[in-house]
Amino acid sequence: MESLSDTLWDVVICGTGLQQSLLALSLSRSGKNILHIDPNEYYGGPDAAFSLQEAEAWVDRLADPSTANRGFRSASVTRPEGSTGLSFPRAYSIALSPQLIHSRSKLLSQLVSSRAYRQVEFLAVGSFFVFNPAPGPDQKPSLARIPSTREDIGFDTTIPLKGKRSLMKFLKFVQDYQSEASTEIWKPYADSPLTDFLQKHFKIDAQLQTYIIALTLSLDGKITTQDGLAILFRHLTSMGLFGLGFAAVYPKWGGISEIAQVACRAGAVGGAVYMLGTGIKTHESMGDELQLHLSNGETVKAKKLVRSSDSVGEPGISRLVAIVGSTLNGQFEALVEGAPQPAVSVIAFPSGSLHTSAGKVSEYPVHMTAHSSDTGECPVGQSILYLTTVATANSKELLKNALDAFLEAMDEDPRPQTLFELYYEQTKGAGESTKDGAIFNLPGPSLSPCFDDAVLDPVQEAWKEVLGEVDTEYMTFTDREGVTDEDEMYD
Amino acid sequence: MASDDDLPTIKVLLIGPSGAGKSALLTRYCDDEFDPESSAATIGIDFKIKRLVVRGKAYRLTLFDTAGQERFRTLSTSFYRGAHGVILVYDISSRASFLTMERWFDEAEANTAEGVALYLVGSKLDKAETGREVSSEEGQALAEAHGARFCEASAKTRANVRDVFVNVVDQVVQTPGLLSGRTRRAPGTVAVGSDEGGYGSGCSC
Ligand SMILES: Nc1nc2c(ncn2[C@@H]2O[C@H](COP(=O)(O)OP(=O)(O)OP(=O)(O)O)[C@@H](O)[C@H]2O)c(=O)[nH]1
Ligand SMILES: [Mg+2]
Repeated sequence: MESLSDTLWDVVICGTGLQQSLLALSLSRSGKNILHIDPNEYYGGPDAAFSLQEAEAWVDRLADPSTANRGFRSASVTRPEGSTGLSFPRAYSIALSPQLIHSRSKLLSQLVSSRAYRQVEFLAVGSFFVFNPAPGPDQKPSLARIPSTREDIGFDTTIPLKGKRSLMKFLKFVQDYQSEASTEIWKPYADSPLTDFLQKHFKIDAQLQTYIIALTLSLDGKITTQDGLAILFRHLTSMGLFGLGFAAVYPKWGGISEIAQVACRAGAVGGAVYMLGTGIKTHESMGDELQLHLSNGETVKAKKLVRSSDSVGEPGISRLVAIVGSTLNGQFEALVEGAPQPAVSVIAFPSGSLHTSAGKVSEYPVHMTAHSSDTGECPVGQSILYLTTVATANSKELLKNALDAFLEAMDEDPRPQTLFELYYEQTKGAGESTKDGAIFNLPGPSLSPCFDDAVLDPVQEAWKEVLGEVDTEYMTFTDREGVTDEDEMYD
Repeated sequence: MASDDDLPTIKVLLIGPSGAGKSALLTRYCDDEFDPESSAATIGIDFKIKRLVVRGKAYRLTLFDTAGQERFRTLSTSFYRGAHGVILVYDISSRASFLTMERWFDEAEANTAEGVALYLVGSKLDKAETGREVSSEEGQALAEAHGARFCEASAKTRANVRDVFVNVVDQVVQTPGLLSGRTRRAPGTVAVGSDEGGYGSGCSC
């Protein structure tokens, strides 16, 4: 084959995070010459999944300013003293940016139409819980399951009748919120907090408001009425789409990382050349072409370059990942008979439900997803907890406290042990894609605990940018067929 | 037309250093062709599908041929998922290729489930007289150390080529749980695609 530098690449894609990988998938049947590189030695960029060993190496690299990774900082690993039971490093797959995917998400329909879904196993995301702090000094904190269907609300024994009625009324409203009549009702509240709307229009009390806000998974808990209704609508209409009792799915073996890898593989099958551990040092324009000087010393020519924007460095979120030595019974129960066994549950710690040792109350919610060993992210008998909150001076302590409080609320004897903890902060990426001549910069990843369809649009823009005028349908392919021979018989 | 999708799928990967002869083995097996002049390294991944009948039962065999060249490496942890068999190939006329096999075994073992059929193949057996650099015993010993089966083969002369694939398939279908456990939906996984009862439409046939 020609050497890398002799080829004029139609596009060089830099980075193998979800967006770049989906771009590779979308171009995999285009016949274009594609060079896909990543400065990291692993696939997935900010969406990667790591074994324990890889996670520790990643933490070390982040600590070294010369190899520091854009987008992440303040990472540390702790193996709590005296804990035992951690399995071998490869038995774990820690997702750096775990996200639930709503059943209605465009990501799923694109994976289906592009046939890439066949290589991904999807698991059901089950219950959503709200954390209630201990009511008194000698009492334990608890978790309340959020009823999210009308039948659910009917059966709930903790919500007073009046609350049930207003909640039902609200859910019915959400289902129809885009109608003209409904829009008229919420429009005046569109940009004010959803809690205002709940309070004023539906007379929903503070406790039930926390349930509804929890379902939106809003990072700062201050979601507007307009955004909140859209998310709740997505949640309700996702319910039951792929089976009973769940509204979202999670890809086995590390979430989004798995999708990124499968998408890159589709790119490779389509003939794209892959090189890990290779970034772009500098580049210059030469007429219609770009000259890219790669970190491995080679120089390549390309018509287009697609990469991710620099992170804007604003404080984003704090994350804590904890491996615990318990199956966390009760977290992964199917909600209705005949429903698949969920592998993931969601726990929201509302604003104000946690405090630091100095008595400072949490300003933002903490969101946690609990993953069972069915996710393939930890061995049988253990679970992985992923906690997220807005990064503040206290966020690390608050995440630790949330973890402790959750384990306390599990009410297991002995209390589940934490075997491994990974803490890090992730900064915000640029909000929008930008174009600079032949260079297309994808925006940064979304930090939401829930996959945001908005990240898909810039990928399609980049696709158009590379292909120019096209009449092919985006991400719509038939199954690839290798050569299917006549039957061979072996007896 | 009954869709091939209904057949149990056996996923087999070919891995090993560049130039070992992976693509040549595959082309010989699937198309019964051999090109001595071929100097094209595989870029990314190629794959072939073969329908075959083993002990009276039909299977869909998907064979993934990967690039051995480091700079074209496209293997990822997810690539190995669901693999039933891995064929590790080195060139008996190249000591250097043999010496990299520990690393390939490590990678295969780290990323596949227990019970996967591992098969070590010393290729280019036709060069045994003139240019052998790795003895048959060494190959055998390495395979044994990893619980793999072993044979030497030649894509040029066809020697043992078919046996390699037949043996791998046979071992896969004979290993209890290896196939059934992966072709059926694992417990808890859900269907998001059309042919699984989800949305979308169409049949690829
Ligand atoms: N004499 C002889 N030559 C062979 C045999 N098999 C392969 N070759 C030659 O060895 C060279 C490399 O073979 P390939 O099959 O392309 O090697 P590969 O393992 O696919 O290499 P990568 O795609 O780079 O990973 C080619 O020139 C082949 O013609 C064989 O059995 N005998
Ligand atoms: Mg090859």
